[in-house]
Amino acid sequence: MGQPFFGQPVRLSILAEAKSGVSAEDARIVRGLQAGIEEAYEELLRRYEQPVYGIVYRLVGNETEACDVVQEVFIKIFRGIGSFREQSSLRTWIYRIAVNEANNRRRWFARHRSHEVSLDGEEADRNSGIEDAPDPARSPFDQVLDHESQALIEQALARIKPAFRVAVVLRDIENLSYEEIAEILQVSIGTVKSRIVRGREALRRELTQRLDPGLAAAYS
Amino acid sequence: MTCWSVKRRRHAYVDRTLSTAERERIERHLRTCESCSSRFEQLTSLRFSLTQLPRRRPPQSLSTRLRVAASRERQIVLENHGSHWRAAWNRWKFRLDEFMRPITIPATGGLLSSLVLFGALAFTLSIKSQPVAYDIPVMAGQTDPTLVPVQLHSAVVLTMSLDSDGHIADYAVRNATSSFVGDSAHTSYNTIPVPDFPSVFRMAEPVTRDISISFTPIVFRR
Repeated sequence: MGQPFFGQPVRLSILAEAKSGVSAEDARIVRGLQAGIEEAYEELLRRYEQPVYGIVYRLVGNETEACDVVQEVFIKIFRGIGSFREQSSLRTWIYRIAVNEANNRRRWFARHRSHEVSLDGEEADRNSGIEDAPDPARSPFDQVLDHESQALIEQALARIKPAFRVAVVLRDIENLSYEEIAEILQVSIGTVKSRIVRGREALRRELTQRLDPGLAAAYS
Repeated sequence: MTCWSVKRRRHAYVDRTLSTAERERIERHLRTCESCSSRFEQLTSLRFSLTQLPRRRPPQSLSTRLRVAASRERQIVLENHGSHWRAAWNRWKFRLDEFMRPITIPATGGLLSSLVLFGALAFTLSIKSQPVAYDIPVMAGQTDPTLVPVQLHSAVVLTMSLDSDGHIADYAVRNATSSFVGDSAHTSYNTIPVPDFPSVFRMAEPVTRDISISFTPIVFRR
């Protein structure tokens, strides 16, 4: 008998860890989801709600749309967990769904609702929901400056091409490896490298155009 | 190492995917080349800024929605062994049962009535053949090797006499030149199958009468 997961003794397959890409912890979550165990659902949400939201938000650029997309993503995860073959890691599988759904929504949004303007404005939308703990070691001026520069970086990130943006987000913000990004985007590692390079260059150009002279010196 | 080769490797350097030897060669070049050093610093600073971007916190409403969705999906897993097709089938079955409930009894009653009526009438069906010794085209209900196809040369009138029970009691065949009345002895060929529906005629209250049917040949000339 394998170790009990989520309080219920059950026989675990000894091959669970042998399958490529899936850790023991991921395998436990997958088995729990397939068995309908409540704790497994909670664990999945606890682990992936924020990262998925972060990726999706930076791809669609709108909080309301991001919430809808994230909900769709998790519904797809819950429904598709039965067919998850554990050929890739759980994280890359989830992120792949998230990226695809975000891209689909972004394209739909661009086709049907690009003429609409948010009543709250882009600035408020981009700066909302940021988890920003004040650093007591820095002066209020520096903290404001940090906040301003972060907002500028976010805005510049939103302006570069989506294909490059997703590569930069996954690499530099989510800290995924080239191999994981290639698996998520279903492209070669060479393509991933190329998109990251071009994304960073595009971001640098955007920042040099938008930043004030003081901050631009750091990036030009 | 040249500036060009260092420039090509700057992203890999920042991502720490180069070998130790390559990193050392790049760092030796950077100590001597201000232009490349500046470019590397920009890139490193940019990447650092990206890694320092704060995490985007999902709104509380999203967390609630996700938990509601999780609860619903979990319920489907528990009730239908994870099969959404089975869940959809069960939902469709439930709706069909609800729809059929008010009409189930009348529909069943109608079906049973049809079966009873058909069963009552079915055994009364029979075909009775009567021989006709005349050159009349016939359609037999069963293959009879003695039947010979004939050609109708002139108009023929078949007269059938019905009794009070609706039975064909007698018949006669006439044409322009000859006629004969029914004779059961003429049984070798040319029979007219006459269906016998005694129960049907009884319900319809048969009347004693004669029925005449006229057969006229149609000639096609080229």
